[in-house]
Amino acid sequence: MTTNIIELKDVHKAYELGKTTVTALRGVDLTVGAGEFTVVTGPSGSGKTTLLNIIGCLDRASKGTYVLDGEDVSSRDFDALADVRNRKIGFIFQSFNLIPVLDVAENIEFPCAVRKNAEKPAVLRARVEALAEAVGLKPYLHHKPDELSGGQRQRVAIARALITEPRLVLADEPTANLDSQTSEQILDLMLALNKDKGVTFLFSTHDPRVVKHAHRALQIRDGRMVDGPLDAH
Amino acid sequence: MTLLKVASRNLRRNRRRTTITLVALVVGVVVLVGLRGFINGQQRVLVENLIQGRLGAVQVHRAGYVKNVLSSPLTLDMADDPGFRARLARVPHVTAVAPRIEFGAMVSTPDKRPPPDDGSPLPEADQGKTSFFIATAVDPALEAKVTPRRTELVTVGHMFPDAQASQVVLNAEFASGLEAPLLDPARPLPPVEQQTALLAGDRDGALNGENVMLSGTLPSFSPGDKRNGLVPLGLAQKLLRMEGRVTEYALAVEPLEAAPTVRAALQAELGPDYEVHTWDELFPFIKSLTGTQDFVFSIVSGVFLAVVLLGVVNAMLMTVLERTREIGTMLAVGMRRRQIVTLFILEGLVIGTIGASLGVVLGSLLTLYLNHQGIPLPSPGATVPSIVRPFITARFLLAALVGAPVGAALATLWPALRAAALRPVEALQSP
Ligand SMILES: Nc1ncnc2c1ncn2[C@@H]1O[C@H](COP(=O)(O)OP(=O)(O)OP(=O)(O)O)[C@@H](O)[C@H]1O
Ligand SMILES: [Mg+2]
Repeated sequence: MTTNIIELKDVHKAYELGKTTVTALRGVDLTVGAGEFTVVTGPSGSGKTTLLNIIGCLDRASKGTYVLDGEDVSSRDFDALADVRNRKIGFIFQSFNLIPVLDVAENIEFPCAVRKNAEKPAVLRARVEALAEAVGLKPYLHHKPDELSGGQRQRVAIARALITEPRLVLADEPTANLDSQTSEQILDLMLALNKDKGVTFLFSTHDPRVVKHAHRALQIRDGRMVDGPLDAH
Repeated sequence: MTLLKVASRNLRRNRRRTTITLVALVVGVVVLVGLRGFINGQQRVLVENLIQGRLGAVQVHRAGYVKNVLSSPLTLDMADDPGFRARLARVPHVTAVAPRIEFGAMVSTPDKRPPPDDGSPLPEADQGKTSFFIATAVDPALEAKVTPRRTELVTVGHMFPDAQASQVVLNAEFASGLEAPLLDPARPLPPVEQQTALLAGDRDGALNGENVMLSGTLPSFSPGDKRNGLVPLGLAQKLLRMEGRVTEYALAVEPLEAAPTVRAALQAELGPDYEVHTWDELFPFIKSLTGTQDFVFSIVSGVFLAVVLLGVVNAMLMTVLERTREIGTMLAVGMRRRQIVTLFILEGLVIGTIGASLGVVLGSLLTLYLNHQGIPLPSPGATVPSIVRPFITARFLLAALVGAPVGAALATLWPALRAAALRPVEALQSP
């Protein structure tokens, strides 16, 4: 049975900048099914980050509805959204965004450790080690982020995104700060996790080479989804 | 647990800023502990000088005496006998009993030389002087146990040897103004006309006199001490025709804090014909003086603490600014706003606890050192410097130990709330 993880209907987003209004999304309809590995492309300023922020419950749409994993989250309050993010979504950022004072293991377990009813530390640590193994970081568990390479840091971020066993992992240009070889490795890792664990991935990119790995590629232009073949820009 | 770990590690991140904040906190606590210790020492000197140099801890009089104390009423007197003294001494915490008579007297110094043979008057400069003073008649042996400080401070000459001696001790400035000749124990007593006369009216108004010699002088403790003097009790009783009677008992109490208990016990023991007062009832000025000092201290320390804590606020605001993206990340992965607030408050609490502990330790060491050394401090109107020995109470240290971390935590509240109010999208976009 395939269920939909993301259902966006007629989503608009406008930013108020003093007197002017910048419209970033102009009626986006999008459905993403469970287990998909989807990429969003589009030129700079087209609205990729805005879209991912709304899907990630970091921001709210100005108009339209958003159903995440069967829950309408369009009008949830701040703490409820924090809870939705914590339970259902994993984030991978372009610039890794690890917490510098925590070591690799502590960074990976962070989203679970700050939960109200956190698991027993030993249980959590076992899961962290298994994930670290899966992303190839087992030997680095007690290293601080500043002792790691960019690719290694992004692996930590991937493990951190997966520790909560989310329904959806969002990644805004996850390979933009990495060289092409490392980018390939990170993509392969995400693909493998998608295949092995069935995690739904949605990420944005500028890089046409990244696009070919995806099961499904979407294009956004001027805040609208556009159909048709992908073109390299 | 995780939050405390993150908070304490964050403090090690910007070492310089943390050090500066910590130094400000430590210095703040040390200054407050030191200042409080000094004020405590000064207040203790004040109280001890008063109690051990003049009043005694508790005084017993006939009912109505204190209300009329300015006229030193000799009619409100009591029979002084060993049985009565024993009754007073039996009360728990009373360690010594000293009988006294307080009265107004005159002292008249001899002419410097005999009048000229030709019958012409002696020049004024060579004439003796007469002046009024407040005399306290004491038994030196008993008095030494109640007001030891007074006896210790007879630095020029000495205290009269017993209650029957024909000697007096006067305030040093008063005595030098009178040019009263000092007794020289090595030489024979001068003839009567070269001795000083002590004059006083008895209860019936008759003026009597005794020849005395100045045996020693006392420095001033306070401005009011100048026209004071000590007279042997037996001599005074003869002079005032009050053999076997006194107007006052001064009592030593150990510990001093037991004074109110002693007062109540004595009042119950003696009944309504007598009145019993503690030192601070006799001299309420001291209480209001120390009260004022305490008030000023709390204002000063409040302002001081506020300045230190503003520094903490500033440092924390900078920290929040620097860590905006990190806060965004924490919010993104599902950390609650309340947890963000807690995180920053914990930082304040941790640095406050370290600062307060160091400050309390250093402040206590400083106070102990100064207590050991003693600070000679001239007090207004006194001719002898008082040795101030600062000390600090456990209660004050505890207050500092709790108050400084709580203050630091409160100082981080505003920056913490600002951090928690960040919107995750914007925080994530910050550099
Ligand atoms: N916080 C904001 N305030 C105002 N305007 C914004 C804000 N964020 C984005 N925009 C505007 O919204 C539009 C879409 O921006 P968005 O960041 O989503 O584009 P993008 O596709 O992610 O671009 P890039 O590839 O450069 O990351 C742009 O015109 C941008 O200027
Ligand atoms: Mg973008």
